[in-house]
Amino acid sequence: MDKTTVRMQQIALQTLANGEVDVILGWKKGDEWYDSYPVVINDINETAELIWDAFCVNNLSKYLITELKKNLRIGVFLKGCDSLAFNQLVIDNRIDSERVVIFGLPCPGMIDPQKVKHAGLNKGLLKVERTGDKIVFITKEGVKEYIGRSFDYDKCLNCRCPNPVVSKYMLSDAVTRTDEEQYFPDVTEIEKMPLEARYDYWTKQFSKCIKCYACRNICPLCSCETCVFDNIAAGVSSKADADCEQQFFHIIRAYHVAGRCVDCGECSRVCPVGIPLEKLNRKIIKDINQLYGDYTADTDIAKSPPLGTYKVDDFDPFDGSKQGGKK
Amino acid sequence: MSLKLEEKAISSKQQFEPLIVAFCCNWCSYAGADLAGTSRLNYPANIKIIKVPCSCRVSPNFVLRAFQRGADGVIIAGCHPGDCHYSTGNYFTRRRFTLFANLLEYVGIEREKFKIEWISAAEGNKFATVMNEMLDSINKLGPSRKLRDGRWIRQQ
Repeated sequence: MDKTTVRMQQIALQTLANGEVDVILGWKKGDEWYDSYPVVINDINETAELIWDAFCVNNLSKYLITELKKNLRIGVFLKGCDSLAFNQLVIDNRIDSERVVIFGLPCPGMIDPQKVKHAGLNKGLLKVERTGDKIVFITKEGVKEYIGRSFDYDKCLNCRCPNPVVSKYMLSDAVTRTDEEQYFPDVTEIEKMPLEARYDYWTKQFSKCIKCYACRNICPLCSCETCVFDNIAAGVSSKADADCEQQFFHIIRAYHVAGRCVDCGECSRVCPVGIPLEKLNRKIIKDINQLYGDYTADTDIAKSPPLGTYKVDDFDPFDGSKQGGKK
Repeated sequence: MSLKLEEKAISSKQQFEPLIVAFCCNWCSYAGADLAGTSRLNYPANIKIIKVPCSCRVSPNFVLRAFQRGADGVIIAGCHPGDCHYSTGNYFTRRRFTLFANLLEYVGIEREKFKIEWISAAEGNKFATVMNEMLDSINKLGPSRKLRDGRWIRQQ
């Protein structure tokens, strides 16, 4: 068994047994090789079923919001991107960090089952093991080894935070990424397109939407008790398959997490029709970084959110004429 | 029938009568519009004013909804930064809508269609100028159904 998994089970057992936490949020292995699903456990016998593999992609920090209402103290396993979401939830006052014990998991990247299927490796596949960039596919016929990141989720290829920024216990050594960080190439690419082409591009992308709201539900920061899109009276939750409704939903969804988005890429990962939603969020992040100083959500919980604050001398794009304005 | 009417209405540019929604802050811009009126300044009848308590009351939902339901241009008018009746409201407007305007441009909406202006209660003149300029630029862009609800029909 994987070294980190062993450590994970040990620490879960230890903290549950000594009463440091009441429940543990982790992952269990499902029936299929790609199936690692989130679980809440409070029984020490179940700790042996906890797992850490290349498919533990679900962010557990959002579950804290509901679980903290039911439990006093929670132990949770967080990867790098999950820990950013955790920090942002603390900033948003959605969770009480005092009652959470974080087990940090440096993450080499998660494997996209779709990419494995496209490579035709899924036939008779029993298990996939990953150590660093070495991926081992265990099939009925035998064992295949690959080195490299060709099976990683797209979002993992652009990872800017593989190591948890906050944790009480670190479960393995920090991962180092030597890749050149290319943060906003996709946004710049779209910005360069002519206006009409941009409109056509986005309308085409949005028109694929089936309004399943998976992007909203998975987003660790879309955590309103009642979402505007669930409010029938607001008149914005129409299920009609009209371009304007899709545009409305996607523009507003991206805008509602403006300044809070941690760029974990979950929204586009779960999108069943493959809309590149992260490109909308990244545009906003890029603008915020340019206009309001370097804000990288969210490694620093002391910083106030960019849209919850202001400066008197902020950049003012609307004051072209300068008529009568205060200088 | 009605679809044909719609086509006819937008087929020639001369007949294109844009609809512009102006969200005006109660304390400055709405009073500015009032001043424009009492000073007998001309501003186009295409401008439909919606009074809001403060420019930061305007949510991006309102803007998109206006475009859906027939607006060809949306303008948010508020007090000059520093003059907000509620001290800080329009500083937030400025940040929010700087980002939102950029986002709209990013998804392919012309800059001219969505504007923010700072108009004080004493600037009746500026109100009229801004609205006339807005109408001009929308007229230049011509009819477009971007962001429009496909089921929406222009009332004749």
